[in-house]
Amino acid sequence: MDKPPLALDPNFSGASEDFPAILRRKSLLQSAPEPNATAGNRTFIPTESTTILAFKFAGGVLVAGDRRATAGNTVVYDRADKVLEIDRHSIMAIAGVPATAWEMARVLEHSFQYFRRTQLQEMSVDGKVRALSKLLRDNFGFVMQGVGVVVPIFATYDGNSKPEARLYFYDAMGAQFEVTDYAATGSGSPAVRGILYYENNWGDKKLQELNEDEAAAIALRSLDTAAEADTSTGGVDRGGKIFPLIKIVSRDGITTLPEEKIAAIFKQRVA
Amino acid sequence: MIEEPYRWVEAIANRREYIETQLAAGSPIAAVGYRDGILFVTLGRARQKIFEIYDRIAMGAIGHPGDIERLRMAAIELASTEGFTRSAADVSLRRLAHYSLSPVMKSAFEQVYGAPYLARLLFAEIGSSPKEDLFLRVDYDGAIAADGLKAQPRQRFAVLSGTRQSAELMEKFLQKAHVTDAALPDAINIALDAWSVGRMAMGENASKELPEPAAVRKHRNEQLASAGVEAAVLERDTKSAMRYRILADEELRSSLQH
Repeated sequence: MDKPPLALDPNFSGASEDFPAILRRKSLLQSAPEPNATAGNRTFIPTESTTILAFKFAGGVLVAGDRRATAGNTVVYDRADKVLEIDRHSIMAIAGVPATAWEMARVLEHSFQYFRRTQLQEMSVDGKVRALSKLLRDNFGFVMQGVGVVVPIFATYDGNSKPEARLYFYDAMGAQFEVTDYAATGSGSPAVRGILYYENNWGDKKLQELNEDEAAAIALRSLDTAAEADTSTGGVDRGGKIFPLIKIVSRDGITTLPEEKIAAIFKQRVA
Repeated sequence: MIEEPYRWVEAIANRREYIETQLAAGSPIAAVGYRDGILFVTLGRARQKIFEIYDRIAMGAIGHPGDIERLRMAAIELASTEGFTRSAADVSLRRLAHYSLSPVMKSAFEQVYGAPYLARLLFAEIGSSPKEDLFLRVDYDGAIAADGLKAQPRQRFAVLSGTRQSAELMEKFLQKAHVTDAALPDAINIALDAWSVGRMAMGENASKELPEPAAVRKHRNEQLASAGVEAAVLERDTKSAMRYRILADEELRSSLQH
C-alpha cells in the first residue's frame, strides 16, 4: 500500500472521512477542474440522450429506462443498463454520459456500504440524497468542459419515514428536488412528463393507485412515446425483442421485472 | 538504554507482559463454521465486538476500544478501496491480514517508544465452498495464526480469548463438539458452550482441564441471564453480495437448548 490508512496514523483522531474523500486521497477518483471564468462564457448545451422515468404506484416506486446508448448521431449500444441498484432499497437511474454516470453509481454504492460498515448504522435517506448531490456538485467542472454531464433520478424506500417511498430528481449542478408523484429526465422526457401528468390527473386511476401491471404498462407506453420523436431513446425494439429495464423498489427491497413479464404486458396492453 | 540489544529484548518482554495483562479480561469470541456459513458468537455487557469488514469478511476483536476502532477502520478502508478499484472478488482476507495489518501491528509493538495496539483480532472470510473458508487471528505483535493456535489439519472454527489457556481449552472443546454441517441453532449452542468454556478458564484459580458439560451449561445459563448475546453470520448462499448478517436477539434466544 503506497498510502497507509489514516486511521493507522498514531496522531489521527476525529471524524472519519466519507468514501469519496478516501478515494481522492488515494488518487482513485479524479477531481473535476474548477469551472473557471472563460468556461463560464461558453454556451453550455446539456445533452442527456436517453429517457428515464420513475413514479410512485401502489406497490412502491417504479423506475424504468430505455436501453439505447448513443454517441452523437450513432447508436453505439442497444442493451445499456441505465437503472442501477445502489443498495437493497435504493435505485439510481441515469441520463447523461455513461462513463461518469456508472462511476458515480459505483462510488455511491461503495459510499453507502462504507458508511454502514464504519458507522454501524444505515445511512439516512437524507444522507443518501445529499451524497449523490455532492457527487454531482464535485463533477460540475467536467460538465462545464462538456464531458461529464449526469442528470439522475434517485428512488428509495424507507420504512421509518413518511412517506415511505421517496423519489428525487437532480439537475447537473447537484440540486435535488423531491417529487410527490413522478419524475423523468433525459432528452425524451418532455413527452414522458406530458403522459404522466395526464395519467395522474385525468387517467382511470391516479399513478399512486396503479397496480404493478398497470404501472408497468404506463411506463412502457411512456418510453414508446418518447422514442417516437426522440432518436436517442430506444423505446421498445420490437424486432430485436429488447425491452426497457423496469425495477421496483418497495418495503421488501428491489425487484427487477423479468423480461418475459414485460414482453407479456407489452403484448397485452401496449402493442 | 534501548540502544543495547539486551535492553531492547527486555523492553519488548515487559511490553508483552503488560499487554497480556491488559487483554486478560477480554470476553472470548467463538467463530464456528456451520451448514450454511460461519457464525460468530460472544457475550458482553456493553461494547460491540463483532463487526462487518467487507462483503465476505467479518471481524471479532478484544482489547482497547480505541485501538480496535483504528484497526477496524483501516481494514474497512483497505477492503473498500480494493473492492472499488477492482472487484469484491479481489478483496482477500489473506492479503489484508498479512500485508496490511500484521506489519503495522508488528512495528507498533516493537517500537518501544511508541504505543502498541492493545488488540487481538479474529477474522473469517467465507468462500464459495466450506473448503475455501478462512479463519485468521492477528495478535497485538502482528503474529498471524491461521486455523487455530497449533499447527494441525484444517479445522472449521477459530477462537479468540484474553488468555492463552482460555483459548486452548476452547479449541480443545470445539475439536470434540464442533460439527461441520450443523444447523444454525445447533451451531449457536455449540459456540455458546465454547464461550463458557473459555470464560470459565479465565482468572487465576481456573482449572486447566475441560469442565463437565453440565457445569458448562450451568455457567452459560447464569451468564445469559445477566449479559447480552452478540452474534453474526456470514452466509454462503444469499442473493446479495453482502454475506454479513447480525442475528437478532429473538433468533438467538429461541435457539437456546437448556
